[in-house]
Amino acid sequence: MSAWGYGATRLIGVLVLLAGCAGSPGEGEPVTLVFKYARILGNADPLPTLLREFEAQHPGVRVKGEAMPWTSDDQHQFYVINLEGRSPGFDVLMLDCIWTPEFARAGWLLDLTPYLQPGELAPFFPSTVASATYDHRVWALPWNMNVGLLFYRTDLLAKYGLQPPDTYEALVEQARLIRGRERDPALDGYLWQGKQYEGLVVNVLEALWANGAPLITDDGAVFPEPARAADALRFLRGLITSGVSPTWTTAADEELSRRAFGDGHAIFLRNWPYARDLFESEGSAVRDKVAFTAIPGRARGEPGAGSTGGAHLGVSRRSRHPELAVALARHLTSERAQRAIALGAALSPSRQALYHDPELVRRNPAMPRLHALALAGRPRPITPYYLLVSATVQPEFSAALVGVKPPERAIDDARARLGHFLGALR
Amino acid sequence: MRPATRTLADVVVIAALAAYAIPFFWQLLTSFKPEAELLRIPPLLPSRLTLSHYRVVLEQSLMPRALLNSLGIATLTTTVALVVGLPGAYAVARRPVPGKRWLLLAIVASTAFPQIATVSPLYLLMRGLDLRDTWTGLVLVHASFALPLTVWLLAGFIREIPIEAEEAASVDGAGLVKTFRWVVVPLLAPGLASTALLTFLFSWNEFLFAYTFTVSEASRTIPVALALFPGVFEVPWGDIAAASMLASLPPVLIVVALQRFLVRGLVAGAVKE
Amino acid sequence: MLLLAPTALALGALTVYPGAWVLWLSLQHRIPIFGVARFAGLDNFTFLSVDARFWSAAHTTAVFTVASVALEVVLGVGAALAIHTQRRGRAVALSFLLLAWAMPAVVAAKLFEWLYHPVAGLINVALGRHALNWLGDPAIALAAVTLADVWRTMPFVAILCYARLLAIPPDLYEAAQVDGAGRLATLTRITLPLLGRILLLAVLFRTLDALRAFDIMFVLTGGGPANTTETLTVYAYRALFQTLQLGFGSALSVVVFALVMVVAWAYLRLLRAGSVAA
Repeated sequence: MSAWGYGATRLIGVLVLLAGCAGSPGEGEPVTLVFKYARILGNADPLPTLLREFEAQHPGVRVKGEAMPWTSDDQHQFYVINLEGRSPGFDVLMLDCIWTPEFARAGWLLDLTPYLQPGELAPFFPSTVASATYDHRVWALPWNMNVGLLFYRTDLLAKYGLQPPDTYEALVEQARLIRGRERDPALDGYLWQGKQYEGLVVNVLEALWANGAPLITDDGAVFPEPARAADALRFLRGLITSGVSPTWTTAADEELSRRAFGDGHAIFLRNWPYARDLFESEGSAVRDKVAFTAIPGRARGEPGAGSTGGAHLGVSRRSRHPELAVALARHLTSERAQRAIALGAALSPSRQALYHDPELVRRNPAMPRLHALALAGRPRPITPYYLLVSATVQPEFSAALVGVKPPERAIDDARARLGHFLGALR
Repeated sequence: MRPATRTLADVVVIAALAAYAIPFFWQLLTSFKPEAELLRIPPLLPSRLTLSHYRVVLEQSLMPRALLNSLGIATLTTTVALVVGLPGAYAVARRPVPGKRWLLLAIVASTAFPQIATVSPLYLLMRGLDLRDTWTGLVLVHASFALPLTVWLLAGFIREIPIEAEEAASVDGAGLVKTFRWVVVPLLAPGLASTALLTFLFSWNEFLFAYTFTVSEASRTIPVALALFPGVFEVPWGDIAAASMLASLPPVLIVVALQRFLVRGLVAGAVKE
Repeated sequence: MLLLAPTALALGALTVYPGAWVLWLSLQHRIPIFGVARFAGLDNFTFLSVDARFWSAAHTTAVFTVASVALEVVLGVGAALAIHTQRRGRAVALSFLLLAWAMPAVVAAKLFEWLYHPVAGLINVALGRHALNWLGDPAIALAAVTLADVWRTMPFVAILCYARLLAIPPDLYEAAQVDGAGRLATLTRITLPLLGRILLLAVLFRTLDALRAFDIMFVLTGGGPANTTETLTVYAYRALFQTLQLGFGSALSVVVFALVMVVAWAYLRLLRAGSVAA
């Protein structure tokens, strides 16, 4: 090792000691930070470059990126087993925003509040900051932002002189009309995600909200409007039985539905912002034929709202290098890093200013529009028990959608089960 | 039957069983198919064969490390189970042990033990001993789970050894350890091989415990790595096919090269009483 | 006695002790994430008795067990008889069977996931216009999972039967031939009765395995669609490790445990009765 390198690592060693870390590395030993994340979508993964940048800024520090399982449910199990009651082998972790209260309450995350500068979180979407906050403390830095969108085929709607629908009823009407006139048996009406997984809960929540039926209220009441909730489920099931949505909807996740729409086989699609980049990419069958709008509401009901989502970066409470880990999280959520990620991996930034960034807008002129919709989005229930709630309702929703249970019974069963499990927590 | 008919019958049986193994061969073919042709059938056969999926799996995934973990854990499990189980099996087969009937019943009963029944306490135990995500933890669990079958099989094989050989040795003044080492073990070799193979396969294939107790590349075994094989945009069918071929490599080698021992062990496990 | 010590110790520490512990856990509300740990009496079990998801999982487990074991026996005996008639190439024939059996269940699940692929799966390509949504249709997903499991485990039954067939003395058949018995008569009067006992054993092992089946459905369908392929073990595992409901999940594990033990006991009784009669 060169004299310079040796000196630098010594310096880091001293710095780390000064930072008051227990178990500081031995003399001259380089610090390794482990970063757990799911591989970011996109062919040009910008992450390795960003990590190398951080290493260049912090001589003597090595960052090791470790990939996680791909689905949100598998990731959650990974964290639960790995973090519960022990030192995990990583310092910085990517987490789905819905987990923040749970992880914070369990004591797995480092409280970032003391590390933050005043106003540091102001540039982020208020909703992402809210989902990174629990018990008035901040536990993670928002990394990317997601919001449910309704994609539609501009060419087909224009052909029949239609405006994008703002209610589900209008959407069904338009789908019928267009499919009737197009006479293309391969053309489906409306695609969404009905497979039994977290994505299903998001889709059903959007339908519940549009029908004025919350899943769980702030004071913990479960399905306070059971009749409206059942009605929303019946409506979703009706989309499938009436043929507006294909039967395989009950096995569809984001990618399956995105692909079918991208191949030109559907008029409407509910999906996240990343889909737009793929539709507009070279060789896409629907290039320049797609636009998005807000998730519809119901006729005589509330206006629609897309569910928000996204990933945060947190620091393990047992990290041996908390200062450096916070610095890494900060580096990766910086404006520069988020711009690189938005350019390379199609993930939407959690910083609002980037939606009006000239470079990004040039690449994706819909950014300002997306900004407005993201601001209007609605979060899933913010509770430490979110995963328990979601895992409990998933099979019930799924049973109603595939038609093995009447919607009323599905809601009743979900209420009974949730009542029991949440009761056990008190 | 005339010889020609006989040969025809033999060919038909082999063809039928080869057809039975099509799921495996289809995956084997898939693992060599170019990416662009994966979702496009017909034609069934690819225009050319490629190693690109294997390259991805070996260079960019956890698989090589998982192979190493599985190899290590399965070998250690086999060793531990044999070392611990052999004396026990000898006692069961040869010695008057008080309450032997109950002991045998307990051994049989524990071969029927469902993994799910002990996974929650074992999780707490692993957590308490800080053995999560280590080879040691998984080896302990696998070995103890395999132990009843190991003892059962070995006891059966020991009973097959003519007792006269041991008696002759003890007449010659050889102690228990010596008799064991120089008389029992050599005669037992084929039985040991059969038992070792079955234990190895159990550990190699085991999923529920491995999925629960391993979290990172430090100890993740191959079935778990395969089950969680990451996809980015879409399911990487070709890479998964290559990975599953790697995961079934040792079982396939055993079946092809050591079939005799495998069948012997399988049959012995069911029949010996 | 000393020789037995290591075995007894290992079994005690890692099987019997956790076995007792799981009973104790099942009587608690215990969720480490939220610091919940208190005695619950029979709460978890009373909830199970009215839990629709539990009964559905129990039903799925029963259907899966009966269907897979029955298919395995029919196919297994057939395969054993076929190999037994062979003059040459028995080892090759056996290899094809063993190949399926020796593979990790996870690999089998991946093989079938690919075979069942809606568009590019070999099965749907063969079915042409009658292609099915194998893993997504609640009406057939359980059948699809069962087939995958039968593929991997039938060879076990076949090999046990085959080994028994090898042990049948040839003069039995010669005597039958002298008596002028046809092939069918030989099969039903000699071969099958002689297979009876080993078949019963094979069925016992396979039933116990099928009752605790986990890997294949966990990887292939995750228990979906709409939980139609969720067995008791999958339900228990989800409860245990999706949200670390260790108490409730342990109650489910105890049910699986009891079920397996009851079935094992019943079979052993049957087996003993059979051996006395014979």
